Amino acid sequence: MTTTNQSQNFTRRDVSKMIGTALTIPFTVGLSTREAIAAGTTTAALGAYLKIDALNNVTIAIGATEMGQGILTGLAQVVAEELKLNWSQVVAVQADASSLSSNPFANPLFRAQLTGGSTSMRGWYLPLRKAAAVARDMLLAAATQLYGGTWSLTTGGRVINTTTNATHNFSELAATAATLTPPDANSVTLTSSFQLIGRRVPRLDVPAKTNGSAMFGLDVRVPGMAYAAVLHCPTNGGTVASAPTSAVGATNVINLGNAVAFVANDTWSAMRAASANASQIRWTLPANLTSRDTAALSAAAKSLVASPNATTHVYENIGANQAQAVSGASFKIDSTYNLPFLAHACMEVLNCTVSVTSNSCEAWVPTQGQQFLIPTIAAVTGLAASAISVHTTFLGGGLGRKIETDFVIQAVKVSKAIGKPVKLTWSRTQDFQNDKYRPNAAIRVQLGCDNTGTMKGLVYRNVSPSINIQRNTAPGNNPEDTGAVAGATALPYDIQNRLIEYVPLPTDIPLGYWRSVGESYNTFAIESAVDEVARASGVNPLQLRRSALANDARALAVIDAVDQLSGYSTASLPAGTGKGLAFLKGFGSYIALVLHVTGTAAAIRVTRAFYALDCGQVINPDAVEAQLQGGLVHGLSAALWGQVTFVNGMAQVRNFDNYRLLRMAEMPVVKSTIIQSSASPGGVGETPVPVVAPALANAIANLTGTRLRNLPLYPGANMGEGGED
Amino acid sequence: MGNLQAENASATRINKAPTKAQTSSIGLNINGVTRTFSPSSPDMPLLWVLRDLLGLTGTKYGCGIEVCGACMILVDGQAQKACDMSVSEAVGRKIITIEGIASDPQGKLVQAAWIANQVPQCGFCQSGMIIAATAALKAGKHGAAIAGSINNLCVCGTYQRVLAAVSTL
Repeated sequence: MTTTNQSQNFTRRDVSKMIGTALTIPFTVGLSTREAIAAGTTTAALGAYLKIDALNNVTIAIGATEMGQGILTGLAQVVAEELKLNWSQVVAVQADASSLSSNPFANPLFRAQLTGGSTSMRGWYLPLRKAAAVARDMLLAAATQLYGGTWSLTTGGRVINTTTNATHNFSELAATAATLTPPDANSVTLTSSFQLIGRRVPRLDVPAKTNGSAMFGLDVRVPGMAYAAVLHCPTNGGTVASAPTSAVGATNVINLGNAVAFVANDTWSAMRAASANASQIRWTLPANLTSRDTAALSAAAKSLVASPNATTHVYENIGANQAQAVSGASFKIDSTYNLPFLAHACMEVLNCTVSVTSNSCEAWVPTQGQQFLIPTIAAVTGLAASAISVHTTFLGGGLGRKIETDFVIQAVKVSKAIGKPVKLTWSRTQDFQNDKYRPNAAIRVQLGCDNTGTMKGLVYRNVSPSINIQRNTAPGNNPEDTGAVAGATALPYDIQNRLIEYVPLPTDIPLGYWRSVGESYNTFAIESAVDEVARASGVNPLQLRRSALANDARALAVIDAVDQLSGYSTASLPAGTGKGLAFLKGFGSYIALVLHVTGTAAAIRVTRAFYALDCGQVINPDAVEAQLQGGLVHGLSAALWGQVTFVNGMAQVRNFDNYRLLRMAEMPVVKSTIIQSSASPGGVGETPVPVVAPALANAIANLTGTRLRNLPLYPGANMGEGGED
Repeated sequence: MGNLQAENASATRINKAPTKAQTSSIGLNINGVTRTFSPSSPDMPLLWVLRDLLGLTGTKYGCGIEVCGACMILVDGQAQKACDMSVSEAVGRKIITIEGIASDPQGKLVQAAWIANQVPQCGFCQSGMIIAATAALKAGKHGAAIAGSINNLCVCGTYQRVLAAVSTL
């Protein structure tokens, strides 16, 4: 489909490459604002981001998607800071998708309206502060124009006369301010005395998430809408050969090419009609089933990781004779780590509500990828971009899956076919079996150190499928998939001789971006290997890392903070408790994790977790701590049980009953230290995840002496109502 | 078609063949009000009645097989998974959903504890969590005993804050 390439021209890693692009702040007073004022509304908009109503409440439009990470609150804090707003007068809303080339809601870091790569605060922190300062200066100028004299900003959405101390609300000034020419965003003064940034202000979305009123994609209701369920081919990649044109229990049956939609008057009836009529669909199976068989892929990966003849891409070649540096070292390891395909398993299944008419399309989407939706819908419907509107709902988790467009395309096709609005919902089984999976990987690490724990050489060879190659976004024969080795390249460790290689593993299993992407597998291999070589040399794994990070003050501070918090180097643990450490510099942040475990290798329990994090300037420490606690859970579920297998193209996962996740009774106690810093904000959403699996494997090795190199640790786990069975 | 059979087997409430017959009007006591509607069949799960017929979308679909708990509601004061309760089983019972939880004295306490502890992240599982905690509190449990009775799945991993919140109850 032509739209597919469009939607895949941006990847998270392309996005990373664009960091540092010169920014201009889109801040214009739109025509629509003036029209609104002329029409006598009491709400005035200042540029794209701010609206001020008659009660002096300030609504802030946020370009990043709220999927649980607290970004609506965090970015609103940043704006409210510059405007000295009281937190109680702040409202945050999700911006609609924009098709403007100067999209004001495109993340300034990479100029696309999407949420991923832990980039929202990194991209928006300064631009939004500048935009707010521009608005402040316009409001002050409006006060002078209306009342004369000079005015300064005071708290509560007010300006104060510098001579008379008279005050006026923003609401009295906004309409006039909106007619003024904005000052240059690069000339405005930003506040240096924070009242909201760095504070634990309550999340704006929490009340609605405790009373049922939060509107997720799944909750959207449009007058007159129908409900659709879909069935994809049980063999991944199969297409519809023939489908019935009607079916008992369904008002419509729509052939979507890659699936069949059954339409009814409620979701349950649609799902039931789909199940009951499944046998009437004939599928064309893909020619090559081996490339969709995980046992075959694991075998191929194991072969490639050991084969010198495989097509190999060198991503880092630092120093010289790396293999010799390893073999000549006093202590060396040569280990291969194997990781599985993973599903996203968002609590909210994929869904989309859409109303297509002959001349318009309106869609409500739980999306991380607004950038792609208007062009995609335009291609499916033939409508002009200006006829298409896309609203972002809350997301019941995104985790990288909801940046895709497949479920949106299906809903648009169904609405167009039946001529009325539709809500299309994937069943949990469809969601699990038709994911864009985290790639599997086989990673060989050869690492050597001397008897003081100085690492001398690293030879790293990653065999895994390439997201970019599969999506045809790789230029020529070069995979350009720096994401596939992210977490292994640009290591902060001072290792003089390093060779980082990547071997693409061909597969047709659909691949996608899973929270923390490349780091989710490379950090497991690197941090397990560092621990292995430390144990081989008898050097404390924390001290070995410390000496390799001697030139990186922020990294050292994080290592020392986790040591102090957990007592890793000093405290003696109770008998039967093991400890494991892992570290990551990534997503613009530094993080270290120590886990404590008890039990046996066959039945491990994680009892305590200690995180230290330097994410630069902290906006909301409460939200950061929540990401650490949640990132731990996400990482533990994956490391312990997470795995999707395919047998001849048929996904074996079907629901949470055979995709086990951590339950509350299994939750370790999490403590954390967040480093105080005024450095630029770093990413927080993904950062806590990659360190979990290696810290766990390292703790198990410490406890039992057994090194576990294959994830998940407990494959084949089931989950019943009681949490395990 | 092995996978489809698996899907059918796991989705216990959707494996019966649909019929064209519409069931006649049914009244249920929901959040203190009698709501009248026509289900697509007498075995239509309450989950979908609430969500699609009555617009009470705070009760969530997560798995449809009673594993995740996102669809929990109070039925005569006890937590039940609405994905496995047919509309006919609900007749004559007193149903409270997340939308009505603030009118329940214990529900109001739980809701306040959730806000005070800033529990939700994405929020999708939280309706079920709050219902489960409310049912435990109504049954006379407190603190760790409430925690012990909550088995809802949360992919965001809000468990530490759920534990903090229920420790105050």
